[in-house]
Amino acid sequence: MPQILQFQRNRCTSVSQVDEQTLLSSCHLQDTLTDVCVEITVKLPDLEISDARGEVKRTYQDECRDQNEALKKVLGVRIGPGMLKIIKGLMGEATDCGQLAFMVEECCHAVILSFTKDVLLKAPAGETGKKEFYANMVKQNIRLYNRCAAFAPGSSLVEGIEPPKEPVEK
Amino acid sequence: MMMQTFMRNKLVSISRKESDTLFIHGILDDDIYGIEMDMEIRVTNLTILSLHGKWNHWTTPECPRAVRFLQGAVGLRIDEEGFSRKINKLVGRKACRHFANLTLECCHSAGEAALLVKWEDQKGVNPDLTFEAFLGQADTPDMNVPAGASASSAPGPSRPSVQARYNFKEEKGTVSGGMVIDLHVHTSPASPCSSAPVDDLIQEAKRIGLDGICLTDHNHLWSRESVEELRQRHGFLVLRGNEITTDQGDMLVFGFDRDIKGIIQLKELAEEVHASGGLIIAAHPFRGFLTFGVGQLGLTPQKAAERPLFRSVDGVEVLNGKVTGEENSFASEVAATLGLPGTGGSDAHEVSEVGLYATRFLTPVRDENELVDALRKGAFTPCAFRAEKTEAVLP
Repeated sequence: MPQILQFQRNRCTSVSQVDEQTLLSSCHLQDTLTDVCVEITVKLPDLEISDARGEVKRTYQDECRDQNEALKKVLGVRIGPGMLKIIKGLMGEATDCGQLAFMVEECCHAVILSFTKDVLLKAPAGETGKKEFYANMVKQNIRLYNRCAAFAPGSSLVEGIEPPKEPVEK
Repeated sequence: MMMQTFMRNKLVSISRKESDTLFIHGILDDDIYGIEMDMEIRVTNLTILSLHGKWNHWTTPECPRAVRFLQGAVGLRIDEEGFSRKINKLVGRKACRHFANLTLECCHSAGEAALLVKWEDQKGVNPDLTFEAFLGQADTPDMNVPAGASASSAPGPSRPSVQARYNFKEEKGTVSGGMVIDLHVHTSPASPCSSAPVDDLIQEAKRIGLDGICLTDHNHLWSRESVEELRQRHGFLVLRGNEITTDQGDMLVFGFDRDIKGIIQLKELAEEVHASGGLIIAAHPFRGFLTFGVGQLGLTPQKAAERPLFRSVDGVEVLNGKVTGEENSFASEVAATLGLPGTGGSDAHEVSEVGLYATRFLTPVRDENELVDALRKGAFTPCAFRAEKTEAVLP
C-alpha cells in the first residue's frame, strides 16, 4: 500500500520593509484543515504593532472565524522581551482561537529574526573569529547565558564567562 | 520598492506508519536556520515515541550540541496541560528555541492528523459520519494559548488605609544618606519565577543594611495582615507593591489594593490606580530592547520618550538589577527627557540579589501611605546600594 500522506502543513512567515519607519510581517498557514493569514504592521524605531488583521479562508474551528476584533487587541504592544505573555494574555481574553495568537507570535518572532540576521551577518568567517564574536555577544548580553545548548556551560562560547547567579528570565 | 527582509518556511508532512503510529517529518528553513526533524507519535494516547533532529544550516560553532537534548521531549503527551511550556523549557532552553518551534509545529500538526485518523477509523463503523459530527464527540489538541486570563473582579479601588506603623528608629530616616528601600523584589512562591523565600529575603536585606524592602510579586497582592506579621516578626520595614503586567509591559504599582490577574490595558490600570491615590512606575522599560540588533534601530531617548506608556506613569525605574547597564542608562536618559523621577530596585529573584539597586528616600518612610507620599513628592534618588556599601567598607 502506498504511504499516502495523512496530513500536510505549510506555514510561511515573512517580513517586508514598507518604508524607513514601517515593517509588514505576515504569517500564512495552509494545511489539510486550515487556511489562515495574519498580518501585522510594525512601526520603527519602537517596534510597536500599529495594525493587525487576518483572514480565515478555511477552518473547522468555529472559534477561529471572524477574529479581526481579537487581533486588534495587540495594537500598541511592543515587540521585545515579555511580548509573548502580553500577546497571549490580551488575545486569550478576546478569543479561544489559539492558532491566531500563535500566528501573531510568529509574525513578531520574524521581525526580531530579521534584525538578528543583520547582526549575524557581521560574524567573521573563520572559526576562531566566529567563537570570539559569539562569546562577546554573551558577555555583552548575559541574558543569553544558558539560553540554549550553544550558550550553556560546557560550550566553548561561554568558557571563562561568569554565569549569572539567578534564573535570568522572568 | 517593498523589499522582503526575512522569510521562514515550515513544512510538516504526516503519514500513518502503523495503525497506531504517526510518522511526522518537519522542516524549518529561513534566512538564518535550517533544521529537520523526524518524530513518531502514538495515535491513541498522543505520546511522543521518538524524536530525531538535524541541522542543515546554523549560526554558532556550538549549535550542533543542541541535537542531543531533543530527547527530553520523548514521552511527553502532546495534549497534556502546559505542553507548549514544557517543550519551550525542555527543548527551547536545553537545545535550541528554533527546534522547539518546529517541535511544536510538528506536534500540533500531529494532533490534527490524529483527529483525521480517528475520524477515518470511526467511518469504518459508521460510513456516514461527517468530520463535523465526529468533532462534536472528540477532544481537540491543546496548543499554545493558555486559558483566557482576565482581571479579577476584586473589590473596588480604595486609598490604602493607615497601617500599624513600623516601630523604627526615627533618626534612621534623617541620617545622612537617607532611608534606603529596595522597591522591587520577588518572593517564592508568590512569584513562580523566584526562588527567594520571603523570610530569607528579609534577613538578607537586614544583614546588608537596607532600611526596608517592598514586595512586588507578579500580579500578586499581599494582604496587609501578612505584611504586618512579617514586619513584627523581623522588626524590619516591609512594604506592599505589585508588579502588574499590562499591554505596555510591566508596571510597579504602589498604593493600590485591587488584585489584578492576567493582562490589563495600561490606560485602564492608570485610571484605576490614580483614582485610588496610588502611583505607577514603569518597570525596566527598555529591558532587552537595546541588544541583538534592535538597538541599531536608531532609537533615541527623545524618540523613546514619545511612547504613550510614559503618559500614564508617575516615574521610571532607571536602575533595575535584571537589565544591562546600557539599558539602565537609556531608561535614565528617557526619564530625564520626560522630567519623570527615577527609582531603583534589584528585581531580586534570589536572596543574594536583594539590594543590588534600591531607592534612597530623603524623608522617613514608615508605612505604605508614607511610601506613596514620598514617591509622589519625588523626594528620592535611585542608588546602586550593594556597590556603594562595598565601597564604603573598603579602606
